[in-house]
Amino acid sequence: MTLKQGKNNQTYQVLSIDIEQKLERRLEALGLTQGTCITILNNDKKGALTAKFRGTRFALGRRIADHIEVKEVPCS
Amino acid sequence: MKHTINVGFIGNPNCGKTTLFNAYTGANLKVANWPGVTVEKKEGQTTYEGETFKLIDLPGIYSLSSYTMEETVSRQCILSDEVDVIVNVVDASCLERNLYLTLQLIELGKPVVLALNMMDIVEERGMEIDLHRLPEMLGIPAIPVSARKKTGLSILMHAVAHHKTNRRQSPLIHHHPGLQSSHVHNHHSEYAMVYEDDIEDRIDSIITVLNKKYPELPNKRWHAIKLLEKDPDITRRYPLETDAIADRSYEKDIINQKYNFIEEIISEILVNKAEKEASTDKIDHYLTSRWLGLPIFLVIMALVFFLTFTVGDWLKGYFEIGLEKFSSFVAGGLTAMHTDPMLSSLILDGIIAGVGGILTFLPNIFILFLALAVLEDSGYMARVAFVMDDIMSHLGLSGRAFLPLLLGFGCTVPALMASRTLEHSKDRFKTILVTPFMSCSARLPIYVLFSSMFFGRNAMLVCYFLYLLGIAAAIATAYILSKIDGSRAEHALLMELPEYKSPNAHTIAIYVWEKVKDYLSRAGTVIFIASVIMWVILNFGPAGYVTDISQSFGSLIGKFAAPLLNPAGLGYWQIVVALIAGIAAKEVVVSSCSVLFSIQNITSPSGMDSMVAALSSLGFGAANGLALMVFCLLYVPCTASIATMHRELGSAKKTFFIILYQLAAAWVMSVIVYHIALIF
Repeated sequence: MTLKQGKNNQTYQVLSIDIEQKLERRLEALGLTQGTCITILNNDKKGALTAKFRGTRFALGRRIADHIEVKEVPCS
Repeated sequence: MKHTINVGFIGNPNCGKTTLFNAYTGANLKVANWPGVTVEKKEGQTTYEGETFKLIDLPGIYSLSSYTMEETVSRQCILSDEVDVIVNVVDASCLERNLYLTLQLIELGKPVVLALNMMDIVEERGMEIDLHRLPEMLGIPAIPVSARKKTGLSILMHAVAHHKTNRRQSPLIHHHPGLQSSHVHNHHSEYAMVYEDDIEDRIDSIITVLNKKYPELPNKRWHAIKLLEKDPDITRRYPLETDAIADRSYEKDIINQKYNFIEEIISEILVNKAEKEASTDKIDHYLTSRWLGLPIFLVIMALVFFLTFTVGDWLKGYFEIGLEKFSSFVAGGLTAMHTDPMLSSLILDGIIAGVGGILTFLPNIFILFLALAVLEDSGYMARVAFVMDDIMSHLGLSGRAFLPLLLGFGCTVPALMASRTLEHSKDRFKTILVTPFMSCSARLPIYVLFSSMFFGRNAMLVCYFLYLLGIAAAIATAYILSKIDGSRAEHALLMELPEYKSPNAHTIAIYVWEKVKDYLSRAGTVIFIASVIMWVILNFGPAGYVTDISQSFGSLIGKFAAPLLNPAGLGYWQIVVALIAGIAAKEVVVSSCSVLFSIQNITSPSGMDSMVAALSSLGFGAANGLALMVFCLLYVPCTASIATMHRELGSAKKTFFIILYQLAAAWVMSVIVYHIALIF
């Protein structure tokens, strides 16, 4: 499933990020890499969502959220 | 000889770096609780125990890769001789995020001092940081400071002076639990960040090659890591046959291992990681909610304008009384001194009427900026980008572009500069094109004056309408443009949402004072000069000093251009002159009117009455007034913004196009509004 398909207050683990290199690098620099745990805070809108990873909240655009493959696992 | 120590301030966006920088230099740089405020490198100076420190404030960045303009600029600056010691400012309440940059900085090999900022928030949340263990693990001094309360400032500079030469006092103490290294060299006593054996082996191999090919290269370990990451900049500068060692980019591995190490650090040094942040989530539940987010934002903005007009106007009344007293006092003094009537006219009708009229708007400006400062400092502005992202996407703009637009309500110049944080040049052009349509504070005096003259009790509604019209013009322009260039919505918003905090009085005071100072200095310079020039062209004509204004140069110029504005109901030479003068700064439209109609206290009720009388004798009524306000809203903002536009775009052609577009938009819209208003 993609991050965009995730539910609020649910934590997921990143399986892969499939987006143009520049954006991928920026996400990586922020600590969003394969294996990172990400908690969705607000995914009610059709567009952007808010999520928390590595201790910080972020607003992520829909295209970014569409291209992050995640799986539901208990994350610490 | 005294040596100046060059100190580079670097840290994540929104970590309090600029506040700390200001605490040292008193530079009063603008601070905001949303990322991307420092778009330019700033410099300042401070002294401590006889040593001079040159401080450089760098843009806030999350990492030292070279994928964005800010990162590249910061990295180059730090690596150059411009910086002797790096002060890494971190938000101690958000260490996990901030330490990533720290680890990268340490790897650069220059002396790094960690400034743990926002320790007060850490305490507030009931968290504790092991200040003994942290420097042990990182191998650099960590100094707790509070930029807001100005504590720890001397100690920090002391540490900088002490660590300016890169000597390590004691070996690093690590206990990597469960990490049995079989690596030939044990780097744990040398480097804070030690990678897994596989990576370390590759680093060592690259260093061997580097030693042969570039023996002069300093800090080979950092260069080796960058080569292993296939960093475009470093690979270009130091081409090396490393394909055998670095068969692929190991960047992801390196990033992951850094974050793993950070987790290790956090688990050891952070005690009582209380989830006080739950309150931010609770607030966000409403402020970023799908249905409530937008209405809440609109209500907040309406409230801001309501305060600006009601409270502002109430205070303005006192300013007017003061101005009136001052004006009659000066008039009395000038008569008593038997001053030449021409000079008295210059002082009273030119300078006091022009500059004084503008000064009476100070309360409105003050309240507007106070409200904006509170919104920014609390952390709300970043949410607005999220709330607006969907709408902005329809316009082919990123939600991020909304921030420059919002800043445009304050002043167009910094708003244009903030567009620099946008990544795509197409986005930037569009944002720069539409930002001037946001009603900046200089347009406020025009709205307040003309709407209260012609619309009485509905004045505030008219003002709100103008603000909305500006937004609508911006939206329409962006929409049409995105249709023309076929740019699709990017949906690539990526922005940190800082935790909410109660606004800090000091930060807000600096912010507001900066704006007020700006406004005052504009009144003292541009508006002063414009008022004097206005007086000259209105009191001198081809025949020399004239008492009949219709014989003046101003009248000749105005009459020449007036027919152009006839369709908009603005074909009066006085109005044309005021509008031309307004290009110097928009407030000048108001000050020119008072000079043009020689009304000394134009914003007072009596001043307005005589202005209305003067205008209606020309046949200029409410519809004309509305058209004038619309024209002022949309036409070329001011000389300062034109200069900024030109600098940001780096193209005279594009700047000229924007000016032309704005003039056209102003003309078309004011014609439409004028004719609609005539119907009623």
